[in-house]
Amino acid sequence: MAVFQAALVNEIEKLYKKKKALVAVLLSLAVIVIGQLAIVGVRSGFGLRGAGSVEFPMLVLSVVVNTVLPLFTALVTIDSFSGEYSQNSMRITLTRPVSRFKIFTAKITAIVLFILAMLLLLLIFSMVVGFMFNTNSATWDSLGRTVFSYLVSLLPMAVLALGIVLLANLFKSGISVFFISILAFIVFKVLGVLFSQYSSLFMTTQLDWYNLFLVNSFPLGKIMRQFMIMLGSGIMLFTAGFYLFDKKEF
Amino acid sequence: MKVKKKTAMLVSFTLGTLLLATTALADIVTKSGYDQLKDALKVTAEQSSDKFDSFTMDFSIAMKDNGTTLGTINEIHKYDRSKSASENISSRERINGDNDSSQTYSDKTTYIRVSESDPTYYVTEYPQERKEEAFSNPFKEDGADDIEKIADAVVGSLKDHVVVTENSDGSKGLVGSLTEVQIPSLVNAVASFQMKQEFNGRQDDLPHLTKDVFVKEVKGTAKVNKDGVLESILGSAVLSGKDEQGTVHEISVEALFKISDINATKVRKPDLTGKKVVKDTAREYGSEITNPEKFVGKFKNDILLEKDDKFVKVGEQIMEISHFDNQTLTGQYYEVYKPGFEEYANSERNFKFNAKKSDQKNSSEFEYTTESGSKRSIYVDGHSGQVYLNGVSMSRGNLILDSSFRPDLE
Repeated sequence: MAVFQAALVNEIEKLYKKKKALVAVLLSLAVIVIGQLAIVGVRSGFGLRGAGSVEFPMLVLSVVVNTVLPLFTALVTIDSFSGEYSQNSMRITLTRPVSRFKIFTAKITAIVLFILAMLLLLLIFSMVVGFMFNTNSATWDSLGRTVFSYLVSLLPMAVLALGIVLLANLFKSGISVFFISILAFIVFKVLGVLFSQYSSLFMTTQLDWYNLFLVNSFPLGKIMRQFMIMLGSGIMLFTAGFYLFDKKEF
Repeated sequence: MKVKKKTAMLVSFTLGTLLLATTALADIVTKSGYDQLKDALKVTAEQSSDKFDSFTMDFSIAMKDNGTTLGTINEIHKYDRSKSASENISSRERINGDNDSSQTYSDKTTYIRVSESDPTYYVTEYPQERKEEAFSNPFKEDGADDIEKIADAVVGSLKDHVVVTENSDGSKGLVGSLTEVQIPSLVNAVASFQMKQEFNGRQDDLPHLTKDVFVKEVKGTAKVNKDGVLESILGSAVLSGKDEQGTVHEISVEALFKISDINATKVRKPDLTGKKVVKDTAREYGSEITNPEKFVGKFKNDILLEKDDKFVKVGEQIMEISHFDNQTLTGQYYEVYKPGFEEYANSERNFKFNAKKSDQKNSSEFEYTTESGSKRSIYVDGHSGQVYLNGVSMSRGNLILDSSFRPDLE
């Protein structure tokens, strides 16, 4: 366990030292600021309320979960795998007395922690901004649902990261992985709209699964099914990704 | 060790695949509440237009502002498909006292209407039997599929907000509710912008919303009977907003739709004895003109000139129709000028035409080609007894020409 911890700390430190993490934070804050400015514009321009204090974090979530978050998840993931392959720094990592499985898991844990940190940061800032600039519409119930929605968004994002990990181990160049990821993302989005009855199978629709936790009646069956689909694809992608990582020659 | 790792990977991959496949299959098979509601709507529309001999549809809407009723609308539609007859009773009340109720009756040969403000029975009789369906299925109209796709995409993740409870007798209850956190901000903004246009202060009995308009809540319940037919659906929405004085208005709209008396509805023709009745005969039905001979003859209108701030008649545009039978229209167009105005005459506007009915369905347009090869059309309006000549350049200098012609009966 101590070996894994060391590997994890190593991965987190690498991630943290990169400029990408900082850019991700800044861009997320920009989304919040731009979102709030848009709301103020709509309010004074059209006389609509736009969003209340609790709706604002939800609005921010619905935007970032489909834009900034997947984008930076992809960038960070590609950096962690393809980046190290091309810089040959992976060799240094592998020379340490740590099994490949532990390195692989540590890398993924670091990425998941990055996503979690981003979500928490977005939650806190959008809530602060939401309460500062919008009429108060909060109840304990809606507040709880908002926090929960942010937290559950971690799961589909992690599955997405695993998908990109697989791609990063399949293709050599980080750039091609990035473009394939973006292309696949768009294709899945379009398919989700065209075949709405099968939309719950697509990874991109699962990004919006936090909506299920907003439903008053709490649709347990649907939540369980979505959870199982994500879990199943997560296990598959993790195994396939590790298989390739394990086989790789450096 | 090596073998163990491989087996572990194989097992976990298979496990993941199985988990994914089984739940995915289960998810596709499971119908969301939204889909069940849609199915019920389709079944209802289909049964109403194909299967039920008769049924009654009730429809009512009430609008309230902070609890005070602003207005109500009630409508009862009775359909008897076997006789192609229908009866509508509608009444509306508004807070400013602008109340009205009216009643209509329609079957293959008659259409009767009467209203509270004018207790005269207006009866229209159709010499040809009308072929209209009493109730047509809206899901079978052109473009219904596309609209359904768009609706599905818009509803998107809100599908799961509809909860279904199944009763022991096979009937179902559907409940759905959305509060402001659950309505996507974009949907809320578009909806409240639409609604804000309604409360723009131009109607004196409605509050004028200027600020902080938003949809607060949307709720709905529906009942589906054991045959899958929607028996009732009740929907309500609350819109909140402030007026110019800053007073908060919560405007609620409730709508109820019910289907009842399936195969037990009787449509009654109103009893006209002792009532004030105004009768008329429908001159034609559809695009076919019942007696086309009436359009054979001379049609004309005056040519005017604006001169010294006055309109002066300088001549006549004349259209002589020599033959008309609902399929072809032949004749001649020319202009006659009064003495002193002959210089306005133009040989271009003197031509014969041999026009054929346009391919469009239900159109009384007749198309012809001029000698120069351009396509033009003539429109025959049996209702107003006029003929319209389209596509001829009508204005020239101060000359005022008109494209509509009335019969010359002098």
